[in-house]
Amino acid sequence: VLADSSVVVLALPQIYRELDTSVAGVTWVLVSFNLVMALAAVPAAHVARRVGPGRAAAVGLAVFAGASLACGASSQLTTLIAARCVQALGGAAAVTAVLELLPATVGSERRATVVWAGAGATGAALGPAIGGILTELVSWQSIFLLQVPVAIAAAAPILAVAKHEAATGVIEPELRDTGRPHVLANLALAMVSAAIAAALFLLVLLLIEGWRLTPIGAAVVVTVMPLSALAGSRLGPLVPSARARAAGGAILVSGGLAGLAFLPKAEVALTIPPQILVGVGLSLVLSALTETALGGRAPQAIHGGWTISARHAGVVVGLLALTPIFTSDIAQQRRDAIDAGTAVVLDSRVSPLQKIELARRIEERLEGERGRVPTIGPAFDPLPTDPTERAAVVELRSELQDQLDRGATHAFSPSFLLGALLGLLALVPIGLARRMDL
Amino acid sequence: VNAALRGRVLVVGSILAAVALVGAYLAAGGSSYVPAKTQNPCKNRPWRNPEGLQQIAEQFSLSALDGAACQLGVTRETLARALATSGSRQRFMDRYGIDDAKLAKAIRAGLVRAVDDAERAGALSPFLAVPLREALQRIPVDEAIELIRDARSLLENARSFLGPAGGLIEQLLP
Repeated sequence: VLADSSVVVLALPQIYRELDTSVAGVTWVLVSFNLVMALAAVPAAHVARRVGPGRAAAVGLAVFAGASLACGASSQLTTLIAARCVQALGGAAAVTAVLELLPATVGSERRATVVWAGAGATGAALGPAIGGILTELVSWQSIFLLQVPVAIAAAAPILAVAKHEAATGVIEPELRDTGRPHVLANLALAMVSAAIAAALFLLVLLLIEGWRLTPIGAAVVVTVMPLSALAGSRLGPLVPSARARAAGGAILVSGGLAGLAFLPKAEVALTIPPQILVGVGLSLVLSALTETALGGRAPQAIHGGWTISARHAGVVVGLLALTPIFTSDIAQQRRDAIDAGTAVVLDSRVSPLQKIELARRIEERLEGERGRVPTIGPAFDPLPTDPTERAAVVELRSELQDQLDRGATHAFSPSFLLGALLGLLALVPIGLARRMDL
Repeated sequence: VNAALRGRVLVVGSILAAVALVGAYLAAGGSSYVPAKTQNPCKNRPWRNPEGLQQIAEQFSLSALDGAACQLGVTRETLARALATSGSRQRFMDRYGIDDAKLAKAIRAGLVRAVDDAERAGALSPFLAVPLREALQRIPVDEAIELIRDARSLLENARSFLGPAGGLIEQLLP
């Protein structure tokens, strides 16, 4: 469940094309899931404590599996989004209830928190690779269909607990005082999550829609981010101050996003240093803030619910704030890039008749790509046989593609910068929390 | 103390890493990696060494595109793509709310501006420019578009446009 968003994000470009929708429309495949998770996490945690976490988790996973099946069978955006909402309801119940079950399994609440946070990080690490491979080799539907057996497998060991609860009626009747959530830590979590969502979502779109990488290629590239997070998690134990880890992590996430905003060229290798910063930063800041939000607070399910709610609300805010900006920017930059590319053709050394034919073929490719940044190479095939003319056309092709790459890359800059700003804003609640237990 | 120091080192190190990355990318041209700006079509562009019929024809076409684009309030590049095929022309007209009459007027105005520019660049004799302007203002729109695509036909077949005066063209063309 915790890996869902990072898995699904790789499928969005294919869903966007197959379901004939807009970028803003396809964003709701992510937004709907995260919105319902944000709204349902805390109520689901309360329900789990009343009916028993085993039963809540089992029912939640069953609902999640059924809704995943419906997602995979969807042929329209509206049904897909509706199924995603149900999927998130089940997911919220499962994730919060499991946190209540974990202490009994792993020995302590603190250990349970670490395992729970680790499961989230592992899911995020594997998510892009799984999503990219399934999307390219099978289909976007397979991402959801694969979640069915995974959810059933996860529910199997929980069923025993659920049966035990049903037989013994072991429901915690003396509901402990749940206490107030750690507002500042959860607020910071929301802001950082918005920034991280921006990093992953925008980078995937840039790689697939802007730079025309395959889903697997994009998956390999963005896996740098969660792998860096796993490597960066070794830094955490070296710094006992949660506040310092949270502040350092937020700064790294913002720095990485600002780096993505100022890419000096459309080259995959240049995305790696910013991704390393975002990855290391997110491991530091998420663990520090989650520990702070949960530390010394009981019951874990309720406060875990608050962190889930904050993180997913942050993702929703990030996506809703960024989508209109980058969809408008990408349309404008596409027009600018195509104009700049056409200027290159008009001012080039190739013969006028060749220009006319090229203009016709380029126009055909632009129409065929439905708003996507086109691969312009095929418009130049076959190349002229005359060596001088051929060299001029090859140079022209390269200049034209450069203009399109510039446009595609620049289109994402304002959104990455806004993401960086969200990450920096998280420093405000982190700073305000100085006298608290952060 | 050790724990506090580690915390400070982490925060300062994070700031340095972030600033170093952004600084390096900006220094490498990260803020200027944008598509080239297109020129305002209403501003005259100097003709580049118009020597020979083909180059004169090419400069003539570009000037005509500029003139027509200026009239329509679009870029030269947008109009060039619009005139590539009949389908692209129709899509362009629908998108910008331009009817046949407005397009024809703009294209003819563009051709007249091309004659002006050619005359100014010394690529066309003033003696020929006057009747050419007259002829171009009456030309059917499809023929006008063909002339923008390949102005050589205009210059090569000027006799048909200019009647008796056409015989002088080849002698007067630079």
